[in-house]
Amino acid sequence: MNWTQSLFRLVEPVVPPRFVIKRLLLLIPVLFGVASVVFAILHLAPGDPAIVIAGQRASAEQLEQIRVELGLRRPLWEQYLSFLWDAARFDFGQSYSISRGNSVRSVISDRVPITLELAIYGQAAGILLGLPLGIISAVKQDSLTDHVTRIGALTGISVPIFWSGPLLILLFSTYLDVFPTSGRIKSTLFLPETWTLFGRELPLTGMITLDTILLGNTEAFLSAAHHLFLPAVVIGVYSTALISRMMRSSMLEVIRQDYIRTARAKGQGAKITLMKHGFRNALIPVVTVIGIQFGTLLSGAVLTETVFGINGMGLTIVTAIGVSDYPVVQGTVLTFALLFTLVNVFVDVTYSYLDPRIQQ
Amino acid sequence: MAQSGDPPRLRQYVVVRAQLVGSGLVVGLLLGGLGMAGWTLYTGDARSSEATVFALGALVFGFGLLGWSGSILAGRGIEAMQEHMGTRSNWTERDSRRAMARLCGGGGGIMVGTSIVAALL
Repeated sequence: MNWTQSLFRLVEPVVPPRFVIKRLLLLIPVLFGVASVVFAILHLAPGDPAIVIAGQRASAEQLEQIRVELGLRRPLWEQYLSFLWDAARFDFGQSYSISRGNSVRSVISDRVPITLELAIYGQAAGILLGLPLGIISAVKQDSLTDHVTRIGALTGISVPIFWSGPLLILLFSTYLDVFPTSGRIKSTLFLPETWTLFGRELPLTGMITLDTILLGNTEAFLSAAHHLFLPAVVIGVYSTALISRMMRSSMLEVIRQDYIRTARAKGQGAKITLMKHGFRNALIPVVTVIGIQFGTLLSGAVLTETVFGINGMGLTIVTAIGVSDYPVVQGTVLTFALLFTLVNVFVDVTYSYLDPRIQQ
Repeated sequence: MAQSGDPPRLRQYVVVRAQLVGSGLVVGLLLGGLGMAGWTLYTGDARSSEATVFALGALVFGFGLLGWSGSILAGRGIEAMQEHMGTRSNWTERDSRRAMARLCGGGGGIMVGTSIVAALL
């Protein structure tokens, strides 16, 4: 094989671009639909944005002036089209209440990394624990290990975050005093806003564990990891349980296939057969669950952040709904929808890589 | 085999889809117009009636659009899963997509109908 053939093989797409483009194009109607639903719900919900901005003691003239300034006196179809246009440019104006005077875009860009970090750690915990537990459970079917894993998984799926979170805080923070109850880092530690790379000042990512590594601050990193451990466990329990159950049933189906028996009959070792032939095939349905689960972790962040007082997207959306900060609600809901759909596109692409028949 | 008298495929493609969305749109127009007029008569406040009926239309439109794109994204997979599991459901991706397109048209119709009646009142 000459070097040009090698190069072509290297750049040959593993998934046809047409498949990826079709999936990306479908994001447009999804986000358009979510934007319409958000617009409708906020207009059907009780509450007046003018009162939120001006306060309860504002005069009728002041309130009317604010309504005109916000465009609330325009016909609904005009407001709807204007909202869609703003949503397309990701411009939701300024926050009324929770970060008054700041743009919604800046509020979201500050808080998305916090939620993503939490979801990533929760997902990592779910994958790292769930996959091996599922495989062990399948290989040792009907043994004590299998029963314990299955009961653990069932418990993990059944226990909601709003119950497990406070219980873990009560046990590990209040009684045992091992982990902090809330926050992201020790209150005595302060991080700068930039880090230096080859003499250039660069902004930090907002993901505190990554930022402390970039800054080379070990004490801050340990404190951040210490603060993040309990929320990541809480958010990752459900994920671990679901992945292990899915991996178990998928693995059980695969190890009974003829090709596994053939590989064993030809003298291949049990572990090699399991990992080389069984694992990749058993992984196909699990990848879908992992992807969908990541979206669920984002919604789980709403509860986890509220319980642990982490100021990410989840706590922001809850606070914004509570104080009727409509621009922030619109922005955060659409950001969640965008993240969720992007994750699903990524899952589809991964799935079609693992099983090319899906592209047909 | 295509005959010379057959309508072109693109035209047929557009006509079928326009009929689907159009039928929903007409029903939505009527519902939106009547809903707006009736709600205004009931409450006596045209502005709040417009906000309510238009928002309901946007809700139907939004859910229709989400359902339509969801059918395209996951419909074939659900069909294959039903086939694999041997369930006797008559649900198909095509039917779901068409129903959602009609719902989209209905929601759009309600929004347009409401806006027309609101402008006339």
